[in-house]
Amino acid sequence: MSRAHQNSLSDTGRPDLDAQIAFARAAEDHGIDSLLIDFGWSKPDPILLATAIGMATSKVGFIIAHRSGLTSPTAFVQQINTLSTLINGRFALNIVAGHSPAEQRSYGDMLPHDERYERTEEFLALCRAFWKNDGEVNFAGRYYCIEHGRVNTPFQSPTRTFPELLIAGQSAAAQRLSVSQGTCWMRLADTPARVAAEIGAVADTGTEVGLRCAIVARPSHEEAVNAAQAIAAAAGTVFDDRRKEREFVAHTDSVSFKTVHQLAETEWLTPCVWTGAVRSHGAAAIALVGSVQEISSTLLEFGRVGVSQFILSGWPNLDEMQFFGRHVLPMVREQEHAQLVPVPA
Amino acid sequence: MSSAGAQHRGATARASQSGVPDIAAHVAFCRRADECGMDSLLTAFGFHRPDPIVLASALAMLTERITFMVAVRSGVSSPTALVQQVNTVAALTGGRICLNIVAGHTPAEQRAYGDFLSHDERYERTDEFLTICRSLWSGDGPTTFNGKYYTIDSARLNTPFVSRERTQPEIFLGGNSLAAEQLAMKHADCLWRLPDTPERLRPRVATLVDRGVEVGLLVSVIARPTREEAVDAAYRMIESLGAKPIVTHRDFASSSDSVAFTSTYKLADETASGWLSPYLWSGAVPYLGAPAIALVGSADDVASAIIEYRDIGITQFLFMGWPDIEEMTFFSQAVEPLVRAKEAGAALRMAVSSW
Repeated sequence: MSRAHQNSLSDTGRPDLDAQIAFARAAEDHGIDSLLIDFGWSKPDPILLATAIGMATSKVGFIIAHRSGLTSPTAFVQQINTLSTLINGRFALNIVAGHSPAEQRSYGDMLPHDERYERTEEFLALCRAFWKNDGEVNFAGRYYCIEHGRVNTPFQSPTRTFPELLIAGQSAAAQRLSVSQGTCWMRLADTPARVAAEIGAVADTGTEVGLRCAIVARPSHEEAVNAAQAIAAAAGTVFDDRRKEREFVAHTDSVSFKTVHQLAETEWLTPCVWTGAVRSHGAAAIALVGSVQEISSTLLEFGRVGVSQFILSGWPNLDEMQFFGRHVLPMVREQEHAQLVPVPA
Repeated sequence: MSSAGAQHRGATARASQSGVPDIAAHVAFCRRADECGMDSLLTAFGFHRPDPIVLASALAMLTERITFMVAVRSGVSSPTALVQQVNTVAALTGGRICLNIVAGHTPAEQRAYGDFLSHDERYERTDEFLTICRSLWSGDGPTTFNGKYYTIDSARLNTPFVSRERTQPEIFLGGNSLAAEQLAMKHADCLWRLPDTPERLRPRVATLVDRGVEVGLLVSVIARPTREEAVDAAYRMIESLGAKPIVTHRDFASSSDSVAFTSTYKLADETASGWLSPYLWSGAVPYLGAPAIALVGSADDVASAIIEYRDIGITQFLFMGWPDIEEMTFFSQAVEPLVRAKEAGAALRMAVSSW
């Protein structure tokens, strides 16, 4: 189901905890490292949803999306640190500066795109100062002023002193922020050649690069292409997904969303990289489509050019994840030496 | 109630208290509170504690019935984002959440959260904050608001407040100031007050009750089989704490702009004997802070005291004790049945917190 269609159904905000826990356990069983929990007005709060699922699981991690700018950094660090003590630090943060001015205004945030990134820079600098855990935090910036800040609940994890910080976005501002405050720049997929050309500056600084995309993997190339076409064809039959997505894109100030929508002028960017669902399902629906062997090779190709993390999704999510875990992932693991972290949304 | 397991947490400076939750102790406390028939359990807010809504969400996954009274320090997050968090907990737990809205009590702590407003401005902002939250809960279409502190444009959320009985959480508000009373009349179901004698509380309580707002008492309890044992336990407790906490609390009192806290410290200072009435004891306040003002006595004394407060219009209680789990257990076995036998009309509602 497309994002626009989901948003139109008020039920999308009601978490089905049993189903989510079952999905998380299936992810654990299929070798998936973490689950992305998105942020948006149409969804439950991701920190608290991760808390609930985290209390019912023991291994799988979470990538908790955080819309910067809506909370005091002190209060945010306190929530994050509290969660870390409860689930042993099993999560990363996906920092999103926002993609729709209208949605931002509904949360009380009136800043334009670049200023949101500037504010996020201050926000994360403050968070990281708290995570250093070496005394009081004092900060006087353009967006935040914190005096003698302290949080008595530390970040707890067996391996880290602060959570991994995945910075979402395609703009120059997002890349700068990834390098200055993040641990990984998380961007949407494109062809391996263009991704290679675009990520060099970030990768050279030692910041990881991650790709977000969908997967349509089937035993054969032909089956995968048919499945992909069926997904695109189904859009619009019960809901005008394309019109809704057009309206969304017309009002977004997200560089990644606009970029991918431009790419979608061409349906097949390579024999494996497909944009056919973008216009109905949104930019994150840019997909790798193909046989087990083709998907595995494409992932490894991205790996060779410097991508080390993937946030993956599918339609339906559980079936695609299970197929991916059973067939694609073992082939990738067999062939890779580089670190690879696939993550279905 | 983030002190579960730590008996006299309030005796040490906040800066040196641990903020790491002992989840096993918390769960044990929650389950006992459930067995003791407590309606709800407060998770308090402060830089020295775990985050209350995250902690409540985790504890709710491990318990069945009890409602969590989650403290919300207004002004540290977007009202839309806060409602989204509260509704998420409600949706995950079938509505086992109510809110204790606190406008802050210490300017220094507020500044640590990035908030530089004065006492009365904090209440003004909380008024705007709750206006927006309640509009989102009303479900009457998108919320738009243009105020001094918040501008919200067409806000809506897909996660509703899910509960069998309510369409929005029960809202408690803490404070003894006039600003707190006015805010409660506008937005809250119940105002928490720190105690004074029933005679002195009566006029303020009547004003609120006449306006349809419940008044609750935030009070500690030291109940024992006999009055002598209770008084002895009270005195032994402060003796065991030594003199150091007095300095800690004098420092805290001088930095607080909370009328509830400073007036209770003052009340304790002015009451040389420590006894405001035969059962209302302020002797622990200099050692454990304003909420340590306590009902002390036999089960019958404490039950009678509760009924006296009920007679002036108080309908809810938020109790603390030391050690919390033992005091709560004795209370539910010995005191509560006496209260239930004596009360007439609607049952008093009881919540619990440890300090």
